Amino acid sequence: MSTLATLPTLLFLDTLFEFLRPSTLAGVAVEGLSLAALYVMITAGLSLIFGLMGVLNFAHGAVTMLGAYLGGLVTVLLVGGATGDPVRFLAFFVATLVAFGALAALGGGMEIALVRPIYDRPPLYQILLTFGVTLILEELARIVLLFYGIQPISDWQDALATRPAVLGEGLGVAGVAVDGLELFQILFGILTVVGVWAFLTRTRYGLYVRAGSEDDEMLAALGVDVRQVFTVVFALGTGVAGAAGVLLAWDPSWAASVPLAAETLLPAFVVVIVGGLGTFRGTVAAALLVGVTDAIMKWWFQNYVEFTGLPEITVFLVLVIMLIVRPQGLYGVSEVGGH
Amino acid sequence: MTDGGSTVPDGGSESGNESATPSGESAVPDGEPLLSVDGVHSYYGDSHILEGVDLEVHEGEVVALIGRNGVGKTTTLRSILQLTPPREGSVTFRGEELVGLDTHEVAQRGVGWVPEERRIFAQLSVAENVRAAVPESEDVDAGLERAFDRFPDLRERRAADAGDLSGGQQQMLAVARGLVGGNDLLLVDEPSEGLAPMIVDAVAEALADAAREATILLVEQNLPLALDLADRFYVVDHGTVVDTGDADAVDADSERLRRYLSA
Amino acid sequence: MSGADTGQPSDRTQTTEEILADDGTPWYSQYLRDHRVHVLTVLLLAAYPPVYAALAGSPVSGEAIALLPEVQTMVAVLYFGLFAMSFDFISGYTGYLSFGHAAFYGTGAYLTVLIANGKLVTTLPVVGTVLTPQTPFMLSLVLAGLAGAVLALLIGSVSFRLSGVYFAMITLGFSQVLYVFVRNWDFVSDAPRDGVAVTGRTTGFEIGVPAVDGLNVAVGVLLGDSVSLFGGAVELSATEVSFYAIGAVVLVSYLAMQRVVHSPFGRVMIAIRENEERARAIGYDTYRYKLGAFAISGFFAGVAGSLFAAFRQSVTPENGFYFLVAGDALLASIIGGFGTLVGPLYGRLFEESVQEFLSKSGSGGGLLPWLEANVPSSVLQAELFNGLTVAEAIDTFLNGHAELYVGVMFVLFVLYVPNGLLGTVRDRAGGTLAKAGIPALRRWFR
Repeated sequence: MSTLATLPTLLFLDTLFEFLRPSTLAGVAVEGLSLAALYVMITAGLSLIFGLMGVLNFAHGAVTMLGAYLGGLVTVLLVGGATGDPVRFLAFFVATLVAFGALAALGGGMEIALVRPIYDRPPLYQILLTFGVTLILEELARIVLLFYGIQPISDWQDALATRPAVLGEGLGVAGVAVDGLELFQILFGILTVVGVWAFLTRTRYGLYVRAGSEDDEMLAALGVDVRQVFTVVFALGTGVAGAAGVLLAWDPSWAASVPLAAETLLPAFVVVIVGGLGTFRGTVAAALLVGVTDAIMKWWFQNYVEFTGLPEITVFLVLVIMLIVRPQGLYGVSEVGGH
Repeated sequence: MTDGGSTVPDGGSESGNESATPSGESAVPDGEPLLSVDGVHSYYGDSHILEGVDLEVHEGEVVALIGRNGVGKTTTLRSILQLTPPREGSVTFRGEELVGLDTHEVAQRGVGWVPEERRIFAQLSVAENVRAAVPESEDVDAGLERAFDRFPDLRERRAADAGDLSGGQQQMLAVARGLVGGNDLLLVDEPSEGLAPMIVDAVAEALADAAREATILLVEQNLPLALDLADRFYVVDHGTVVDTGDADAVDADSERLRRYLSA
Repeated sequence: MSGADTGQPSDRTQTTEEILADDGTPWYSQYLRDHRVHVLTVLLLAAYPPVYAALAGSPVSGEAIALLPEVQTMVAVLYFGLFAMSFDFISGYTGYLSFGHAAFYGTGAYLTVLIANGKLVTTLPVVGTVLTPQTPFMLSLVLAGLAGAVLALLIGSVSFRLSGVYFAMITLGFSQVLYVFVRNWDFVSDAPRDGVAVTGRTTGFEIGVPAVDGLNVAVGVLLGDSVSLFGGAVELSATEVSFYAIGAVVLVSYLAMQRVVHSPFGRVMIAIRENEERARAIGYDTYRYKLGAFAISGFFAGVAGSLFAAFRQSVTPENGFYFLVAGDALLASIIGGFGTLVGPLYGRLFEESVQEFLSKSGSGGGLLPWLEANVPSSVLQAELFNGLTVAEAIDTFLNGHAELYVGVMFVLFVLYVPNGLLGTVRDRAGGTLAKAGIPALRRWFR
């Protein structure tokens, strides 16, 4: 009897010790941070829009997907087989700018044409509308891809191939083996956070966004054209999502494909709600929480339990637990279910 | 309706003013009013809140709107600001029609709002709260400095989160915000609500101060405060104006007002 | 919701008290009153297969096949319509958007298939072995409904603490957890990602009275019964038989939900949608009512899933549990009309018709085959630009891409027809079709 009981316990302890080794912890931490960086990037725009306008933009995932394809297109056009790494990074930079600009324009147009007319309706209709837009965008993407002979469902290999060699390698940093790609993603995540934070705290528009997220009626009574602020924020939000897509096009576990839209939308929702309505601080904190938890779960489910589907559930379990324990999210100030 | 019976100086009365307002002994100043509200009907959904409101405010005055809870005083202010756009009637400011404009356009024309519950941006700092009100054309720092000149207490706390301020300080902030940008008309809603008597005094002083620079339309349940600050008053009941007069001609507990104000 | 158009039928002008007030009509009178429209609708639906068959054999067969959905599609309209109606039951009447509604549908479907495959055989004390593959389908159907109801109670007990977007998100979260779970759980099949199929059956699932042979029909395109009536005068194919059998179950379910909606319980549901705080202030335990409504909607969603599995003989995680399944119900509801109960069925019918119209030939016909048959080839081969012919353009942009136009339609509906088709008709007529429709039609014809 005692032998039967000790075996599972021994296995667990053994795995635990494996986990607690510095090299494992460091590896998981880096992976967690890189996931967090990705989650921040795909969520930042959604969070700004939701916080200011109360609109849960269902089309956010589709925008990320379009950014991935658009960015991939740019890199595919600019990069040849023999292109060196520095040029590839430059191509990435160009791709990000193009994706940001194009998707920001799309977002602004969408807001003016479609979202504005239904400001006064209950939030349900804004969700419905953006859901409809998702269908349109995804199908348009499919049409264009099929026209050019690209499979919509599978990862776009051509785009993945434009990645610099250094990002595919493992690098040794302070004795820890990390993926070049993960470092790159962390870097971009930090840049995004800093960029958005600077926008929010250092610019006039950012001030309007923060004020409007609390009370947009009051902001209007102060003489600010809140509708214009809405449009700008919507455009910015979709622009950031587009840029995030470019980054994802280089990551084999995401990659440019039409299903990327749903793959990024759901975690983005989770991060927004776990973080708390209307706070960028909350988004960053939630992205860290979800990213690190995800990485930890991934490790455990590769090395201990054999249920391969569970890491995908992690994100939703975090959502469910958070909504039960603390419905307003980590930093939320509004009333629960206030929208 | 009781009626003083004395003649009314024709001054600011608009022709066609067919409301049920009796001609009280109010000395409505001469000349064109700064703000004129005529026959305004406003709704919340299908609820008919304002059933024909008529009033006017002249430059330099402090006019009080008094009445029980829920009679439409706040809605009147909101209707002026086009936050609750009137379905019927007109609102003119300096002769220009406000109905049909966006709220921010009304605000840009020089109408400020100090709303019920203050509604300061709790997560922004004091300075940022004022900054948000400074019009784009103006120098933000200059606007800030002027606001702090008027309310030195706020200067001390400029970096604090507005949500950490006391009730009285938040009220000062709300008033400062309302004045920034050189607003000529200030719509003030229940400034004394929820504040201790001593603080109310400080707020009253601040408002009296503000009255030197701006015209004020004041909604207030605290009768002595309202009558003290105001030159004239309107009594609102069931969505329309039912009485009007000079503030110093009436006592807070006079029979005339009590019938409209007891809960 | 000050100043906002709630987009719901005429209830919005009433106070909570008025909504809750009983108008004194007994439920059977209510049914009789609605009866006329119901009978008409049922007759129209029942006439569809023979009419379609007749048109398909007539000179206008090409047009008919291109425009009208084939009977097999109509069967899908029926069971998915039931799912969409159960979605409207909770979302349209209480105002709580159930984004995770697919959970109940998928559960019902999977349960049915698992029972049929003998995976759930259990031996209980007293009753012996239960849930064998020989379990009558009607029992599986009820169990599927009950499973849906129980799941709804579980999910609802946690989720109804929230409202609005948060409720929608948490139900979505639950349903996605189930989706991922079922996708990876090898208990259900060897390749859980591909879903489960019914194995080892030579006959279809039977709808009807379980023990009585003559009152039973098997459903399914391949395994269903074809029926000969009136001594061979009327021949119904397996698909047509399935249409009627499944239609009967859907009808009964609809009538049950309708009964609830028109009862005091239903009035509380509407009161919750219009102003929950007020309803609570009056004294109703809204949490219990919400849970009850959710359980009912979960029951019928499970039934719908079971019908789906019975007809198709298979389920996958994608068409059972994925959140877009609830999205489709949402689509159907917006097109048909929220808070109308039957609207979503019409919405699904509309959407499926468009889908089929724009799909490739061989799946019920469509635009291109009809054009190919009827438009001169000179027009079809005309070049638009860059070597792209008209025919190719139609193929690229239309065939198989119905989603795009459905999406556009969806957006247009949200913007301009927020009450959906049925909702707008009701608004114009001034009440439900039963009360106001017949007089309105009379006026129109006068």
